[in-house]
Amino acid sequence: MSEFSGQTHGDTPAAKSAARLNDEMLSSMAPPTWRWYALAFVLGAVVAWGLYAFSYMVATDMSCTGLNRPVMWGLFIVSFVFWVGLSHSGTMVSAILRLSRAEWRRPILRAAEAMTVFSITVAGLFPIIHLGRNWTFYYLIPYPNQRGLWPNFRSALLWDAVAITTYIIGSTLFLYLGMLPDLAIARDRSSGWRRRVYAVLAMGWRGSAHEWSVYRKASTLMAALIIPVAVSVHSIVAFDFAVTLVPGWHSTIFPPYFVIGAINSGVAAVITLMIVIRKAFRLEEYLTPQHFDNMGKLLLVISLLWSYAYFVEVNITWYAHEPIEWEVFSFMANRYTPILALMILANTVLPISTLCFKRLRRSIGVMLTVSVLINVAMFIERYLIIVPTLSRKNMPFMWGSYFPSWVEISIAVAAFAGFGLLYLLFAKWFPIMAVADVRELKEREAEVRLGRAKLPADVKDEL
Amino acid sequence: METLGIFNDVDTAARAVEELIRAGFAEDRITSLTSVPYPDGVLVKREPRSWFRWVSLAGGIVGAATGFLLSAGTSWVYPVQTGDKPIISPYPTGIITYEFAMLFAIIGAMVGMFLEMGLPPRGGRLYDPSISDGCIGVEVSVASRDEIGRAEEVMKRAGALKTISEGTV
Amino acid sequence: MKKLTSPYTWGMVIDLDRCTGCGACVVACQAENNVAVCGKKEIAEGRNMHWLRIERFWVGEYPDVRVRFLPVLCQHCKDAPCEPVCPVYASYHNPDGLNGQVYNRCVGTRYCGNNCPYAVRVFNFYSHEWPPPLDNQLSPDITVRSRGVMEKCTFCVQRIRRAKEEAGGEGRMIRDGEVQPACAQTCPSEALVFGNLADPKSRVARLTRSPRSFKLLEDLGTHPSVTYLKGGGREHV
Repeated sequence: MSEFSGQTHGDTPAAKSAARLNDEMLSSMAPPTWRWYALAFVLGAVVAWGLYAFSYMVATDMSCTGLNRPVMWGLFIVSFVFWVGLSHSGTMVSAILRLSRAEWRRPILRAAEAMTVFSITVAGLFPIIHLGRNWTFYYLIPYPNQRGLWPNFRSALLWDAVAITTYIIGSTLFLYLGMLPDLAIARDRSSGWRRRVYAVLAMGWRGSAHEWSVYRKASTLMAALIIPVAVSVHSIVAFDFAVTLVPGWHSTIFPPYFVIGAINSGVAAVITLMIVIRKAFRLEEYLTPQHFDNMGKLLLVISLLWSYAYFVEVNITWYAHEPIEWEVFSFMANRYTPILALMILANTVLPISTLCFKRLRRSIGVMLTVSVLINVAMFIERYLIIVPTLSRKNMPFMWGSYFPSWVEISIAVAAFAGFGLLYLLFAKWFPIMAVADVRELKEREAEVRLGRAKLPADVKDEL
Repeated sequence: METLGIFNDVDTAARAVEELIRAGFAEDRITSLTSVPYPDGVLVKREPRSWFRWVSLAGGIVGAATGFLLSAGTSWVYPVQTGDKPIISPYPTGIITYEFAMLFAIIGAMVGMFLEMGLPPRGGRLYDPSISDGCIGVEVSVASRDEIGRAEEVMKRAGALKTISEGTV
Repeated sequence: MKKLTSPYTWGMVIDLDRCTGCGACVVACQAENNVAVCGKKEIAEGRNMHWLRIERFWVGEYPDVRVRFLPVLCQHCKDAPCEPVCPVYASYHNPDGLNGQVYNRCVGTRYCGNNCPYAVRVFNFYSHEWPPPLDNQLSPDITVRSRGVMEKCTFCVQRIRRAKEEAGGEGRMIRDGEVQPACAQTCPSEALVFGNLADPKSRVARLTRSPRSFKLLEDLGTHPSVTYLKGGGREHV
């Protein structure tokens, strides 16, 4: 692979042949190395451990968790909200950038969209893991049955189920749509059974003028359709909390605040993944500091928005000083001071102070630190929304506390490993770079002479 | 009956298309096969209108009806009182209707897209894997075998690397 | 769509001035409703299964210290927060104004437990067992709840059902005081009074109109069926 590290040769991607570009961008699909196997094994082992913990919980009972009365929701729901949040980057960022014709989006698209699909898949597992009787989860599915059961569409949990199903299907189709031309390229470059699999997935795509013309319109339409779905999904997750009577949850700012939080963690996660992919597959010349600069600006905006929403939420509660609500907030601040401080540091102070500077946005090390810390902070944020609030509900006699047990921690960690494993497999089997998209941009870049300078002129997308 | 010429770059392919048109082949019977999209008219011009969005809209309407019937309809048929909420509650019904409408619209968009593209195709169609590596294909569909020969000649003259009339995706 | 109606609206009055905090109601409830027996460990973990609890508050500074008791059970709210959040209709409102809980529908989301401001819903974190001969005391009228489901006070719905059958057989309404949940039946100081609120002449309806009455967390607008009485010139106690 080392002969492809083009930077050392100093030739720009624009000067390379299409075949060479294909080779480089699809290098991740080369036969796996021992490192890949080792990583897959480690991740698989963690997932297996999580499965063991889950089976243990199902086989015995829920007393092996840290849950109690009044804290009946714990790390599982925290993880659920976190993963749903993470899933908001990909599809949404990619769709927004597509609609706003931001050309720099192209190398990021695939990684972001795949992240959405895998994180929403992981997220979708948590409500089921969380159930007291997991084996009856199908009671939530509306199908005629002899049990006399029908789900209650007035419950926010059912809205969740419907919204997440919509989002899983929608974002998977969106990923597939974006990948269609690349699957055809993968088909043409492979042989044997893999070729047959790609041939089926590519649906006989040839790239005829008619196909491309429809394809471009379909991409725009899908991008326009997926954005409102993404907004609705995290709003509905926020409804789970906001529609209740629980002091601290019953807040009208929750839906937009959750959507902002989701995009915050999502954009940060895309940046983290970009760094990992760039390093792992040596795609340094496709994911350039320019991309990190742009993503950094986006992250800065979202970070400011998040800080604003958090400020509004806390400030208004503090001023009204409604006794129970204020008890929730002061309990959170007293009991969880260190992680609360870490959350504010990593979600507000650090991003705003670093991302304002171009030099820091272009530094991979800084971006890695900031983006990872933002997701740590977003995990804490969800924990602080769920656990302290339930610990201090209306009846002071029933106040309590919660700490996750080994079962819950194992499953939460296994979710990260499971996500990593899915991603690892995806990157090996499917094009992780949007090959056709990137190459399209290269094709369109031409230089025109204007006065004494040569300037790049590129033909914009038609929408 | 079709024939496919493979060209090294866009310029030669575009020249071949022009030659073909000049030689009497109608433009709507010529298509380009590329691995990256080119703006309309770079190689051939295509009808800018498309109908697959209507499938998406139809999906959305069907989805909205499904969502409404599922949430409002089933509660109405089998009313269960919960917490002084109306049996047909407006907000939940709206949410479910919306989600189903979006789901079906998205599925409709994909299905419509594939229908309009005519994918997956019924029979085999001409293709060459070199297109993925940046070559440009120009495909002409013709009525008779001697027209194939004529088209192949025009394309070869214009600089085709090869012409094929067999070999499919 | 047919709305079910009923001539009964069950309700309860809890006279805090009468409550001595003896805990007989808690024990009676436990015995009547197959409520699991919990030990020190489970109670320390916050996983005890009491459907009815007596909240005890110390009021004042030494030496002027008083103790106040507040028996809290499911308030059977008219606008119950627990009901609409259940995705499978395990928690629903029955025409008698009871807040029903269908155990075998419950999948264990625990959403109802979170949304109950009174925190009276208990969840089966453990698979509770009744080793012999304890199983002999289980009531055949009531489900023994499995692990992973939510349960709570039902106002002894099995007794109400039986009384309805008896009264229906005789072609009459249930008489005031004919049916009582185990807690009210046991209360030695008659602090708990149960009856039909739809009948303005019933004892419970008359007591509900007392100037001493208040509802728990009334400001939340849940409209509980349980009314508390407190005051009446004995506030200093």
